[in-house]
Amino acid sequence: MNLKPSHSDISRHEGCTIQGALSITAFVDDAITIIHGPSGCTHQSSAFFYSALMYNGYYDIPFILSSEITENDIIFGGEKKLSETIEKALTYNPKAVFVLGTCVSATIGDCIEDVCHEYTEIPVIPVNTAGFLGGSFTSGFEEALLSSAKLISKENNRETDNTEIQSVNIIGEKNLESDVDENYAEVERLLKLLNIKVNMRLARHTTVDDIRNMKRADLNIFREKLPVIITDHFTQKTGLKHIEEFPAGFSGSIEFINKIAENLNINPEYAIKKETEYQQSIIEEFSDIKGKTINFDSFGFQNADYDILSEMSEYFGIKVDDNGTEIPIPFSAPVGSTGIKRMLHQWRRFLKNA
Amino acid sequence: MKQIALYGKGGIGKSTTSANLSAALSEKDLDILQIGCDPKHDSTRMLMRGEWIPTVLDLIRENGEKNLTTEDIVHKGYNNIRCVEAGGPEPGIGCAGRGIIATFQLLEKLEALYGDIIVYDVLGDVVCGGFAMPMREGYAQEVYLVTSGDFMALYAANNICKAIARLSKRSKNRCTLGGVICNSANIEGERELVAEFARSINSEMIAFIPRSKTVRLAEVNKRTVLEYAPESEQAEVYRELADKIISNRPAADKIPTPLEMDELEALALRYIKA
Repeated sequence: MNLKPSHSDISRHEGCTIQGALSITAFVDDAITIIHGPSGCTHQSSAFFYSALMYNGYYDIPFILSSEITENDIIFGGEKKLSETIEKALTYNPKAVFVLGTCVSATIGDCIEDVCHEYTEIPVIPVNTAGFLGGSFTSGFEEALLSSAKLISKENNRETDNTEIQSVNIIGEKNLESDVDENYAEVERLLKLLNIKVNMRLARHTTVDDIRNMKRADLNIFREKLPVIITDHFTQKTGLKHIEEFPAGFSGSIEFINKIAENLNINPEYAIKKETEYQQSIIEEFSDIKGKTINFDSFGFQNADYDILSEMSEYFGIKVDDNGTEIPIPFSAPVGSTGIKRMLHQWRRFLKNA
Repeated sequence: MKQIALYGKGGIGKSTTSANLSAALSEKDLDILQIGCDPKHDSTRMLMRGEWIPTVLDLIRENGEKNLTTEDIVHKGYNNIRCVEAGGPEPGIGCAGRGIIATFQLLEKLEALYGDIIVYDVLGDVVCGGFAMPMREGYAQEVYLVTSGDFMALYAANNICKAIARLSKRSKNRCTLGGVICNSANIEGERELVAEFARSINSEMIAFIPRSKTVRLAEVNKRTVLEYAPESEQAEVYRELADKIISNRPAADKIPTPLEMDELEALALRYIKA
């Protein structure tokens, strides 16, 4: 899911706040997410996740429960049904429960927060969503990030680490984008050049304890630029500085290395040297498509406004022209140098077939 | 079969007027069904001699919709008037409007909506689509606005008028404004004020019900005026209202014209000065 679509894209590409929130909460493996609404809301979201994840070759479908409210709950209030569903969720022994509101629960004014606060054995966390009434996919995604931050331990629970290897938290990965794992791998590769490890990911293959232990890291790295209110929230909760987004393209990768090094007081020289060599090897590898002309196929709804595309002409002499070979615009900017490499592999296929 | 709905500001006397109207209509050997559409569920109490009948929504909540019969929800009161209370959720939770829709659906399913005249007594303001149900989908053909000369009562009546005007524009609509009933609050110039209000919304004042101690006496004795003091002047007022409503045939294409706020204020101001 592209979190920065133009307005005209929203109706087509974005789900509602539920899907946005699920793309975080459903990837906390030992937590259960409850959708408080009619079973249809859960059905739609599950179907959507099923297809999106299958497409990405990911078969571990998230555990989502519905409070299955019906007309009588709408008339008399659905809070009791929510309590029953939370009880049901607890029988599966999750480490935490997230509760998402729907259009219906918001319309009848059920107080999800009050119901959640009755449970103290494990964190039962309300996420401020309300189906489409609460906003878009993006706002649900952001609310889920803010809510999951409630799990971060208040104690300073840093381990005394003899190896002195510094680490980072990766926040806000886009679980529904097809390159989510490749993008992560690229960031991990860049971090390794600086001898930095990943403390945790919010959220992909994540546990509740991972979120509790976010303070053990030395820096937060966000997948994509998010509103200041969110980055500030994590700064406050973790006491860590942050990098705004994953790197895009060649110059972006170098800049990324420099920023991290600066934040963590590391000498970036070795990493920069290695990365420059790697980029040089990519330029050589794709010398065969040098000077070609391409044209972006927008499928009628995407924008090719990535700065990265201008880098292409600089390094590879590829020109964009109406008469060029049609190439689909990448859904989001390719991450890191390897992202460019993957993109060029695709371009090469299109150019060969042209 | 004639179906009418009484709307008006909370506390204006809709339930008292409805119950006494139903009682007066029943004296004419008509089969009457009165349906209270208000979570307060006190519409039919005087017809039931003070008995609180179980509401449709309480019964749905306790027993489920499937197990309900007409006998569970329709209760015979004074002069065999059949009484129904829709009821609602507990205050502050759920959706009362959806409850009204569910009640109507159940009454339809049980084929309980029959009789010579059905009187719907509806909650003060048309706060949502649910409370507009009696004027939608071919239930009530005529809406009567109950108001006094009090400004806020006129304001509420004018708002309900907006709902009727909006519905009147729909091609399938059968609902018209039957008229304005003035339930007096002993305000000076009230009769003239309400009559002028009625005219200015393209309607007429079909009854002026004077404020009377008999109404309060009947109420504390848990009876309608018609039962408690059948010979009283007040009982006669309700009988006249009943006659008027039986014969009333408002033109189907007469669409009400709700006032703008400043027009309503100017109207009220004229009568306060007078």
